[in-house]
Amino acid sequence: MAAETRILFRNIDEPGLASIRTYRRLGGYEAVKKAYQEMEPEQVLHELEESGLRGRGGAGFSMGKKASFLPRGDMDKYLCCNADESEPGAFKDRELMQKNPHQLIEGIIIAARAAGANRCFIFIRGEYDLQGDILDAAVEEAYGAGYLGTDVLGTGQQVKLVVHRGAGAYICGEETALLDSLEGKRGNPRLKPPFPAVQGLYGGPTLINNVETLSNAPHIISSGAEWFKSFGTEQSPGTKVVSVSGDVQRPGNYEVELGVPTKLLINDLAGGPPKGHKVKGFFPGGSSSPVLTGDEGMKLPYSFEAMQEAGSMLGSGSIIVFDETTSVVDLALRTARFYHHESCGKCTPCREGTNWTVKMLERLTRGEATPMDIEVIASVQENIIGHCLCVLGDSMAMPIGAMVKKYRSEFDDKLISQSYSAAAKAA
Amino acid sequence: MSPAEIHSLALEAALREEREPHADPEGVPEPSEVEVPRALRREIQRSMKRYPQKRSASIPALWAVQRRYGWCTPDGIRQAAAVMGVTPAYLESIASFYDLFHLEPTGDHQVLVCTNISCWLRGADELLGAFCEAAETGGPGHSSPDGKVYVRGFECLGACDIAPMVSIDERYYGPLEPADAADAVEQMRMRGEEVLPAKRLEDRGAAGGKRNPADDRITAHTMNKPKRPRPKSAARKKKS
Amino acid sequence: MSQPIRNAVTLNIDGREVTAPEGTMLVDAAKHGDIEIPVFCYEPKLGEPVGACRMCLVEIEGIPKLQTACSTPIRDGMTVYTQTDRVKGAQNAVVEFLLINHPLDCPVCDKGGECPLQDIAMGWGPGKSRFTDPKRHFQKPLPLSPLVAIDRERCILCYRCVRFSQEISEDEQLVLHERGDRSFVGTFDDRPYIAPFHGNITELCPVGALTSYTYRFRARPWDIEDAGSVCTLCPSQCNVKFTVRDERALRVLARDNEDVDDGWLCDKGRYSFQMLASEERITEPMVRAGDGTLAPVSWEEAISKVAAGLRDAGTASAVLAGGGTSNEEGWLLQRLLREGLSSPNIDSSASGARADLVRELSSPALGSRMRELDYADAILVLDTEPLNEMPILDLRIRKAVRRTGAQLLVASEHPSSLDGGAAEAVRFAPGEAAELIGALAAALGAPGYEDDGPHAEKAKAIAELLRTGPDPVIVWGERLFRTPGAVEALLACAKALGIDKRLGPGLLEVPESANGRGLREVGCLPGAGPGLAPTQTGAAASGIRDGMVNGEIKALLLSEADPVRTHPGSEAWRKALASTFVVSIAMFDDPSTAYANVVLPAESHAEKEGTVTHPDGRLQRVRPNVPRPGQIRPTCQVLTDLAATLGQTWDLPDQPAVLAAMTDDVDFYAGISDETIGGQGVRWQELASGRSWGPAVGGRTDNQGDPPPASAGSGLLLGTYRDLWASEVTERNPALRFLKRGQMLEIAPKDAETMGLENGDGVRVSVNGTSVEARVAIRTRMEAGVGFLAEGLAENNGNALVNGAGTRIEVEKTAPAAEFEAAGMGQKATVLSLEGEAAAR
Ligand SMILES: Cc1cc2nc3c(=O)[nH]c(=O)nc-3n(C[C@H](O)[C@H](O)[C@H](O)COP(=O)(O)O)c2cc1C
Ligand code: SF4
Ligand code: FES
Repeated sequence: MAAETRILFRNIDEPGLASIRTYRRLGGYEAVKKAYQEMEPEQVLHELEESGLRGRGGAGFSMGKKASFLPRGDMDKYLCCNADESEPGAFKDRELMQKNPHQLIEGIIIAARAAGANRCFIFIRGEYDLQGDILDAAVEEAYGAGYLGTDVLGTGQQVKLVVHRGAGAYICGEETALLDSLEGKRGNPRLKPPFPAVQGLYGGPTLINNVETLSNAPHIISSGAEWFKSFGTEQSPGTKVVSVSGDVQRPGNYEVELGVPTKLLINDLAGGPPKGHKVKGFFPGGSSSPVLTGDEGMKLPYSFEAMQEAGSMLGSGSIIVFDETTSVVDLALRTARFYHHESCGKCTPCREGTNWTVKMLERLTRGEATPMDIEVIASVQENIIGHCLCVLGDSMAMPIGAMVKKYRSEFDDKLISQSYSAAAKAA
Repeated sequence: MSPAEIHSLALEAALREEREPHADPEGVPEPSEVEVPRALRREIQRSMKRYPQKRSASIPALWAVQRRYGWCTPDGIRQAAAVMGVTPAYLESIASFYDLFHLEPTGDHQVLVCTNISCWLRGADELLGAFCEAAETGGPGHSSPDGKVYVRGFECLGACDIAPMVSIDERYYGPLEPADAADAVEQMRMRGEEVLPAKRLEDRGAAGGKRNPADDRITAHTMNKPKRPRPKSAARKKKS
Repeated sequence: MSQPIRNAVTLNIDGREVTAPEGTMLVDAAKHGDIEIPVFCYEPKLGEPVGACRMCLVEIEGIPKLQTACSTPIRDGMTVYTQTDRVKGAQNAVVEFLLINHPLDCPVCDKGGECPLQDIAMGWGPGKSRFTDPKRHFQKPLPLSPLVAIDRERCILCYRCVRFSQEISEDEQLVLHERGDRSFVGTFDDRPYIAPFHGNITELCPVGALTSYTYRFRARPWDIEDAGSVCTLCPSQCNVKFTVRDERALRVLARDNEDVDDGWLCDKGRYSFQMLASEERITEPMVRAGDGTLAPVSWEEAISKVAAGLRDAGTASAVLAGGGTSNEEGWLLQRLLREGLSSPNIDSSASGARADLVRELSSPALGSRMRELDYADAILVLDTEPLNEMPILDLRIRKAVRRTGAQLLVASEHPSSLDGGAAEAVRFAPGEAAELIGALAAALGAPGYEDDGPHAEKAKAIAELLRTGPDPVIVWGERLFRTPGAVEALLACAKALGIDKRLGPGLLEVPESANGRGLREVGCLPGAGPGLAPTQTGAAASGIRDGMVNGEIKALLLSEADPVRTHPGSEAWRKALASTFVVSIAMFDDPSTAYANVVLPAESHAEKEGTVTHPDGRLQRVRPNVPRPGQIRPTCQVLTDLAATLGQTWDLPDQPAVLAAMTDDVDFYAGISDETIGGQGVRWQELASGRSWGPAVGGRTDNQGDPPPASAGSGLLLGTYRDLWASEVTERNPALRFLKRGQMLEIAPKDAETMGLENGDGVRVSVNGTSVEARVAIRTRMEAGVGFLAEGLAENNGNALVNGAGTRIEVEKTAPAAEFEAAGMGQKATVLSLEGEAAAR
């Protein structure tokens, strides 16, 4: 499709791409050779920093800059690829790992050179069993070919890679919870500072990046930072694999340049809502991004900065569309239940706030809520935001807060009509 | 009795109070007291070697236990704890944190129906209902009466492109109609039958279309994951 | 690594200028300005802050988000607000969140009146809740252990208790289950939480979720008094507070002292207050009548009986001072003996410690403070099991490994609970301590030591790790004195490491008895008088025993000592005690008291007034908290009266007078008084008197270790160890009785196989016709060729078989494990000494 710009997805449906043979035939692992045999670690780091590649896992922080925070020196350093992908609406990493695992592995090996990391892990959510199997096989192939091991491509640098499967907990996508989980503990987020770059896995310096972020590395090294910057916007260079789902006709992953109109993604690529329906609103960056109404959101360019300006965020780049048949109150309940279920329970506002919100929304949908409750729902969201240990609590409070604000009449209607009809029934 | 007398009796009682433990405590198991099946021991030991610190193997060890016994049985947890040199409490605490570990018996086949936003928008609740009905579980979170099929609702499984979708025995299928549920349940009950072959995620192309080729079928790799021997339904006992 | 120097930092909190040491967290710094920031999860004793409860949010200028004051270290010039609307809003929000699932059952809650949640909700909460939905429900109080009840509905998930279990005691039995607001505190498979330190969680819990069965519903804060003392049940000498109501001690709480206990208590200390008011206590003087029964008599009569017995024996008298004997009492005892009876036969332990070595070891230059462990680069634990012998030390060592990354090295006969966290754990056979330490001395290059023996390799590994940094601490057990040459080798190691040349690092001895160090220093050691001054050499404990049997010693005074139970050769002791005039000052009728001609009631550590000396030289005050029951008199007074009857006038009317006289006599205690000791104690080494410590010479006694083995035999080599619960305390406190354990024969898997034994089998273990019954416990971490028994049990005491180094045992199977199981006596029920494992780093 013309509107797509495929870099990570270039050969995505090529038969056999998951095998090292096909991957190499299509030019794979050349970037690793370049990074290890023609470039110094500083140069690799510089190139990544220069490219302006921003993290694709949620926060959108510069990947190269984060790598540069790791101290030098020859202690054990770690690199963790965040493949937890548990944010509702996100499924891009799944496709990248399933179909092109070597691109990710190559990216990891390159990032390891930039950061000086010698022990790498892919933390993949336990539900992605098939993808885990594929990665295991690919990692073994990469070891066999000498891209991984104690002496990568004869340079003497050690890069070990282990695929670590999670066991079902959204919070493990939060980078410090991921570290605890990888250390064999319950996946509770840690206090920051210290940041992982200084004190992460096993207390050592650790670089954590998303699958898609790392999958970009081989292309940046092969074609250069300048080339990379020729895609996307100034503040959001490159392409983005966007997961579009919900009320659209062709849900799927689409790779586009950052900054394309959101409308293009929702209507042209994903086919828009079913015939006769229209976009009521959407989450622009997964279920934790504040919802945008169709009217305000469709016209925005799809970039980190535009979404932020609109009071939402690009997050992991996952669009969930809902059409006018959807009750926002039901949607709010569904969203809140997810965060309530996934809250790790470590900090008070998130643990109790998500629980309270669900209870109130349930009451609202049952028509048992008093008018005070909507105020309390809104106020509880405010009491969560900014008060938690990690941003999971905010991830519920922000979209719920936005829903109450933007679709307030629906909440009020629920309240009035339901209690009215309940009263009528009783009479 | 005056309050003062009652009080002084209470004091006397306090100074004589004696209780017995309601069960044996459980510290780090002494290896000689726990019999661990050879294959399980080896698998856990191999996992421990893959990490700089042995505790990183807790999730892999629990996976190994669950694959062997169908769920994380107290005995299985003790065995893993004995191999790892940690307390069973430690491992049980980990197991209970994660959604994919079961601390109660489940069915031979696991159906996880995604009920999160994208799937919900496309009929996940009906699909979950259909699975429960087809397997006669009497509701989500339960197994069929013959113990063969366990059905539960699940949070987003990361496959909203095939919404509404399910994960059956760790493989993804979608988009499904409620009618697919009955087929799937029947196929699971039949030994050797492929489940919903036309709805497999593996066969799907990036932008939604069908992905072709047979030569691209990915064979599961078993480096650190022996294929799960399914537990015998009869061998399962309910946690008391 | 030495103790870091922390600079002062000045900041502004709520407009007030506050100065505190660098690295201080904001909450603590605020206290310097009299500003209180509410906290729940923050407890510095538990290590790094976790920032979980979010109660302590404050506003910091320049940072957009509110920050947790518990985890924010202060910086110079920072400006903090704790009272703004934003902060108050956050505090109200957190309290409201915390209370939505709390039952608010304060009127029936034991914590009421001393509950942080209650206080904070009043002080920082919104006053009312908007939560109208149903609360979380759990089954109301359940036994978490026989000592602690858990009420999960009250839990606010502050993580303190589980952090204690994971990161302090490292027993890892108490964990959190489930996730999110479904989380609850529990154990594996609902087992009881039984571990040596678990009672601490009741003090940590900021709500009424964890309460002691022994205290539930007994008292309210407004009708109790707290008073401070020191627990003298073991050498840890933890600082405690007794909760007293109606003149009864109802609870023991920790009185934080970082120099001693870090604010923790073991369960033995915490739950051993029931015995104070026990009906079994000896509360009046008694004399054994002709028919062998003890009959109460007046003090006057008892004292004249004792005086007569001692006078008759004269220079053939002897004294054993043990257990909780205070410095003052010890000093009076040795005076009574040495001055009143001209006898030199006094000892305070079973080790046969040599006076000249003790003196050398007592040098301030060699000794380590307790606190030094926090800064040690490496810690060598030599032939002692802190968990059993000085439990709080176990926690302190774990802390050093966990928090500062100290290299832990363990060299012991018996597997240690510290093995798991050790960089190197070495086993040696019973009796081989001298060889192992000699090898270590050789590896460290000590002059006169050479080794290419079997221990050379291990010794090299330890030596290397000991040199990790400049500050090693060596923790060693007094039992090393039992092996000739071991302590000399230890001293050589210390010198080779240069420990004597550096301030800080050094040796820390784990004495055999609670006040072991103090008793020696005041003169309860053969060959060393008060201040360790050389004096006429007398018989050590084993010599006293043998002397009693062969008639050389005619009278023995036991001061809170029970040699039948605690000393090697129980049978020999029984024989000895049966053949002489014996006086026992005791709290309970124990196996040795059973042979006493006169029994005098002893004060407990909650009743006594006096001082004791911590293993690191810290003098601490034991203070009366409850009245002495019955006819009990202060032992100091009894000894003074006894001396008077023997014709000695001391003019020491009360304890302060004895203390003053004693500090005059013990030269390095000079200047110590109740005031200098204060609430936290004082190390004599740090006073002027300590700094003037000079080398003293003479007074060498030959090691009086037990005679060489009677037969070499072919069986397993016998090893014994002390068990935390193998003690009278366990039996006399009803609440602790469930911890009473049976004897176990611990053997290596290989030996079990060759001998055809399985876990739980019943066996008879014998040496030369003496035998004890035991159950087999196979220990993977033990070396083959050795069989271990616990010492100090009331029945089947391992000490009964000890017959000097190299004793070999015969083992005969009496009943298969299955038989016990059929009788409902599973193997596990007997194994209650639980081994926490330091987290592998
Ligand atoms: C609750 C929560 C869940 C998250 N889940 C994921 C995830 O599944 N995958 C991911 O890459 N990042 C996730 N993140 C973001 C990570 O914390 C982290 O920022 C990211 O992995 C960094 O990689 P990047 O810089 O390449 O984006 C999550 C964050 C939060 C707070
Ligand atoms: S039981 Fe008490 S100490 Fe433990 S988490 Fe709950 S409130 Fe905190
Ligand atoms: S006291 Fe600071 S977060 Fe709990």
